[in-house]
Amino acid sequence: MSIITTNNLTKEYSTKFFGKKKILALNDFSFTVEEGEIFGLLGPNGAGKTTLIKLLLGIVFPTRGDAEIFGKKINDESYKSRIGYLPENHRFPNYMTGGETLVHFAKLSGIEWKQIPPKVDEMLKLVDLEKWKKTKIKNYSKGMMQRLGLAQSIINNPDLVFLDEPTDGVDPIGRKEIRDILIDLKNKGKTIFLNSHLLSEIELVCDRVAILNKGILIKEGKVSDIATYSDTYIFETSDLQNEVLNKLLTSFSITLSGTNLFRIKTTDINVLNNLIDFLRTEKILIHSMVKEKNTLEDMFINLIENRQN
Amino acid sequence: MIFISFILGIIKEAFAKKIVLALIIIYLVVVLLVIYLLNLESIDAVQTLLMASSANDFRQAIVNIQAYWILGGFSVFVLFTLFIVLVSSFVPSMLKKGYIDLIISKPISRAKIILGHFTAGIIFIFAALLIMITAIWFLLSLKSGVWNVNFLYSVFWFTYIFAVLYSLIILIAVLTKSTILTILINQLILFPFSYILYFLNDKLQAAAQGLIGGTGEFIIKFLYYLFPKPWDLHTICQNIIAGKEITSYQPVYTSLLFIVVMLSLTIFYFGKKDY
Repeated sequence: MSIITTNNLTKEYSTKFFGKKKILALNDFSFTVEEGEIFGLLGPNGAGKTTLIKLLLGIVFPTRGDAEIFGKKINDESYKSRIGYLPENHRFPNYMTGGETLVHFAKLSGIEWKQIPPKVDEMLKLVDLEKWKKTKIKNYSKGMMQRLGLAQSIINNPDLVFLDEPTDGVDPIGRKEIRDILIDLKNKGKTIFLNSHLLSEIELVCDRVAILNKGILIKEGKVSDIATYSDTYIFETSDLQNEVLNKLLTSFSITLSGTNLFRIKTTDINVLNNLIDFLRTEKILIHSMVKEKNTLEDMFINLIENRQN
Repeated sequence: MIFISFILGIIKEAFAKKIVLALIIIYLVVVLLVIYLLNLESIDAVQTLLMASSANDFRQAIVNIQAYWILGGFSVFVLFTLFIVLVSSFVPSMLKKGYIDLIISKPISRAKIILGHFTAGIIFIFAALLIMITAIWFLLSLKSGVWNVNFLYSVFWFTYIFAVLYSLIILIAVLTKSTILTILINQLILFPFSYILYFLNDKLQAAAQGLIGGTGEFIIKFLYYLFPKPWDLHTICQNIIAGKEITSYQPVYTSLLFIVVMLSLTIFYFGKKDY
């Protein structure tokens, strides 16, 4: 079941008074996000990622096209009680403590007042900020603010969570904890829409991704489909003597990465078997042989470069 | 319930502005101290009081002090300047990137966000005025023995004057997103300008039409009805305290219309704006 559907969603911003000059932030963007998946949106800076989230949340208005969330048009506010949102560079009132901030946003999300205190404690524990509950947030670090923001975005137990650069400024351990929270949410059946420029992170948690460049959708699909395996095999062996190396270079066209590490690019399985036979004949020990994987990053860079070319 | 939570959140923000609150408290303490130090024990002092307040009897003298000294034009300007400084940053601070996104993403309509700000400001200032006016009234009444209940009505009148100004403050704040500009436009332009219009209109009504030509009279009348009328409302308030007859409630109705127009414009603009 589709949770988010957009049809030719377009957003133009006016840059000058009276709208003489326009910037196309999003162009005829159509896609769907299915229930229970983690959907990642990738793209370079200025690609239109944040604009898309803002359109879906009614923070900016579309120039053309429309969108639905939970089957309701985005100008209908009722769907907002079922969503959570963590904006990029969010800003909380700095006169509040961490606990007060969560109480404030819990109330605005429509949670019953009686349920708020235990919910706040649960969320602070989840993001490891229990000890900082009564500290004014102006004393929080960037990473702590990000974790508090994440807690704020899920305090109302939303069915759909929008996260814009959730790990920005968070240390590696904190990033791992955030990833674990996202996976836990997914396991509870929640749908997550994730904006990030950290491709490795998207690859680790997302089921599907869309790549956006200059407001245009250039690729969409499962991470496993996009991050495909290449035709290159990596061999790790015992030390290779010069004589063997020469034969490998001339007969098999390998690419050397060290005295015991090389790559071979081939689609012919016989070539690969001949290579193994040769190595065994020369009494070379094969420690490992791995098929190289095209990372999402490789795919992303290729797609963006192809577009620019 | 979300609307009430939103209002409570803004009132909490008002309490966070400790410097302005401290100034309001200092102002109240000074007024209370002056009342406390008033010498009403000797005949000479009472005679001086009667002369200074242009009154024929002691009760009228106390009533005049309430209406024209305690709630005189200078007091109004000082008090409202403090109030406006206190509330002027509410909207601009909400409109900052990273916070407005969060507020709009919550299940509360844009119209309610504006109305929530308006209501919160009114409730806060009403509470502040209630404490101040009641404290002043109680101490002065205790000291003088004159219990003029009409003085307490000024809580409502002053709240109403504030509402008129605040409806404009919210519009300016949404348009400019600047606290400083909001304060400047309100205190340095509109407040004095509305006084000039009030003064000129008063002169016109006092049969001095000959002083200003027909076109000039039309322009003054037009601007007078267009702009907020805090000084007219203030005069009505003073007259009620002093027990005088109110000849016209026109400023009350036109000010109410002004509030409705300002809030409608704000909601319309805020409702269409991208953040």
